[in-house]
Amino acid sequence: MKEFSMRQEYAWRSMFVAALLPLFALTILGQIVRIQTSDEAQLFRDQANEFAMVKRTFYPERGEIYDRNGHLLAGNETIYTVGVNIPDMIDASALAREVSAQLGLDYEETYQKLLNPYGLIFVPLKNFVRADELAPLKETFEQMKKDAAAAYRPSALSGLEFQPTLQRSYPENELASNIIGFFNRDSRGNFGVEEKYNDLLAGTPVEAWVPQDPNRAAEIPKAPDGTTLILTIDRDLQAAAEQSLDQALFEYGAHNGSIVIMDPRNGEILAMATTPRLNLNEFWRYGEYYSQSYEYNPAISMQYEPGSVFKILTMAAGLDSGAVTRDTLYNDLGSIVVGEVLIQNWDRRPWGVQDMTGCLQHSLNVCHAWISTSMGQDIFYGYMQRFGVGRPTGVDLAGETAGRLKVPGDADWYPVDLGTNAFGQGVAVSPIQMLMAASAIANDGYMVTPHVLYGMVSEGRQVNIHMEPAGMPIRTETAHILSDMLATSLESEASLALVPGYRVAGKTGTAEIPVNGYYDSSLTNVSFIGWGPVDDPQFIIYVWIERPSTSIWANDTAAPLFSEIAQKTVILLNIPPDIIRHQIAGQ
Amino acid sequence: MINVTHLTHAYRQAPWRVQRQWAGAFLLGVLALAMISALYLDVTAQTAIVGREIQTLQFETIKVQHENADLQTRLATLLSNANMEARAQMLGFRPAEAGEIHYLVVPGYVRPKGVNLAVTEPATSTLATPPEYTQSLLEWFSTYLQPPASGIAGGVLP
Repeated sequence: MKEFSMRQEYAWRSMFVAALLPLFALTILGQIVRIQTSDEAQLFRDQANEFAMVKRTFYPERGEIYDRNGHLLAGNETIYTVGVNIPDMIDASALAREVSAQLGLDYEETYQKLLNPYGLIFVPLKNFVRADELAPLKETFEQMKKDAAAAYRPSALSGLEFQPTLQRSYPENELASNIIGFFNRDSRGNFGVEEKYNDLLAGTPVEAWVPQDPNRAAEIPKAPDGTTLILTIDRDLQAAAEQSLDQALFEYGAHNGSIVIMDPRNGEILAMATTPRLNLNEFWRYGEYYSQSYEYNPAISMQYEPGSVFKILTMAAGLDSGAVTRDTLYNDLGSIVVGEVLIQNWDRRPWGVQDMTGCLQHSLNVCHAWISTSMGQDIFYGYMQRFGVGRPTGVDLAGETAGRLKVPGDADWYPVDLGTNAFGQGVAVSPIQMLMAASAIANDGYMVTPHVLYGMVSEGRQVNIHMEPAGMPIRTETAHILSDMLATSLESEASLALVPGYRVAGKTGTAEIPVNGYYDSSLTNVSFIGWGPVDDPQFIIYVWIERPSTSIWANDTAAPLFSEIAQKTVILLNIPPDIIRHQIAGQ
Repeated sequence: MINVTHLTHAYRQAPWRVQRQWAGAFLLGVLALAMISALYLDVTAQTAIVGREIQTLQFETIKVQHENADLQTRLATLLSNANMEARAQMLGFRPAEAGEIHYLVVPGYVRPKGVNLAVTEPATSTLATPPEYTQSLLEWFSTYLQPPASGIAGGVLP
């Protein structure tokens, strides 16, 4: 009986303990649930979520720039930010000593940066370090790491990191710098193509929340690379033009100059040489070369009085309007009065009876003033506006100037302007404007829009650009007649602009520079515009030289430079001499 | 008959057997839980490893892209106009003069018009999913059993 009582007691105890244990377990479970569902838990979860995902922006690789033959003009290269991850740092002194010695930094300054990181986890010590500059430090770092690992101890350079990023690189340095522009460290394109097509080149950055937890690894969205651009520029022709320009400026003692070569059939700019040129890999030296932004690419940004090259537009208008014909004779008396102002020839003497070819050949101001006044202001300015004078050409380069064409009704227009404008005074144009206007004469009356973009490549697909003509300011017949007249005038005077084996048309321009409101006859800007071969024009070249000192005349300076460039152009563009071309055509 | 019923009843009611059944069921539960836990741990660990691998591969991709860009730029620098001109001059070449050029008519030759940088196969942003992720066990088994396609190995070599 006693035994039974004891067993019963034990049973009760056991049952009590057995009941207590699940109760305890249930309490724990209840507490777990309570904690998990409490407001504090939610707060912790929210805080954790903030760190679980990181919002990152993925920047696409900037699109490259090629010339028309596939030569890389602007690409990308890896540069590094050298810094120290503070939690991994062991020996600040060793780090400061090695980094400052290898990268040319001040030891004390570097050391203090590492000792006082001001809460930073990663302390950058030097930005924009090129791979070749970094190579010795990287080698030392790897060697010390290897030695430390062999000795089972941490490296003294622990914490040192090299963070790579892409930077713009220009393999051709200063070649075509005025066309390409540059991409600065504020991630902005400046000048030229880099600025004009910045959005295309940059691509579209993609923002995404990236999980820190590898269990939640998600696909990082692919940011498509920026669009690659193919330019109409021919690298070798560009180099040849730049060499010739530099040589000419030296020979003629000139300040600056521009050479633009364009295909008159479609407006593709084949070369555009200007001075001075910036090494694009050292774009931060911009201030050493230019004081004004328009100096970066004067071929599109600088406006000036064109002088006598403008006469081809006046003659085109005169012929097209019917005011004159090729055979119209004009008795040049050496002066003419327009708007009660006396206008004289460049040599201030009469040239007697001249046909229109003679007027062009001898570049007679009086004759051209007579043509413009014969047409009347409405017709003359109507033609000039159709030629695009006084408005931007729309060339796809940043920083183009509009030029200036005063027209009747403007506050600063005077009747004499009708006469002076006819020979390129009192009107302001840029080289590219002059080239666009003259393209109508070279291209059967159709004016083309100058452009540098040949094609675009995006996602592996290439799209080439086809530009429509910008207008037809003159008839085809007029264009042919005027081209022939200009070619004849060059041949008649045995101009230095002639190109052996090729018939070219063109016109010189010597423009006096206005100083304090008066023209200074000792200071000139000289120019030449010409194209060829006359029966099938494949290039049009504009040469402009500022203030040559060896001679103030375009005949002595701009004309031979045109000839030199044209000879290089026909070789580099594989244009056979006229006689061979005609033979081929006859076969 | 009574004996058989009695025996069956006695067998069923045996306390040691009931306890063993309970213990067995409990152990089975523990085993199932352990298996599920092990499976979960394995999957979690593998996911973590693959996640790290993905991150590593992404870093590798960026590294390779950088190397590509570097090599392309380096090549362009080596082939730049200034370098090529200098190398040509070192080799004794000089720019041709107009009179030194001979033009030949090559029947059927068409001068190439500009450069074409388009790639033949446009890059697609989404990669094709490997069959391992989509095919059923039966499909995989039939593929496995299928004889290899007759190629050069099974054909006649020229």
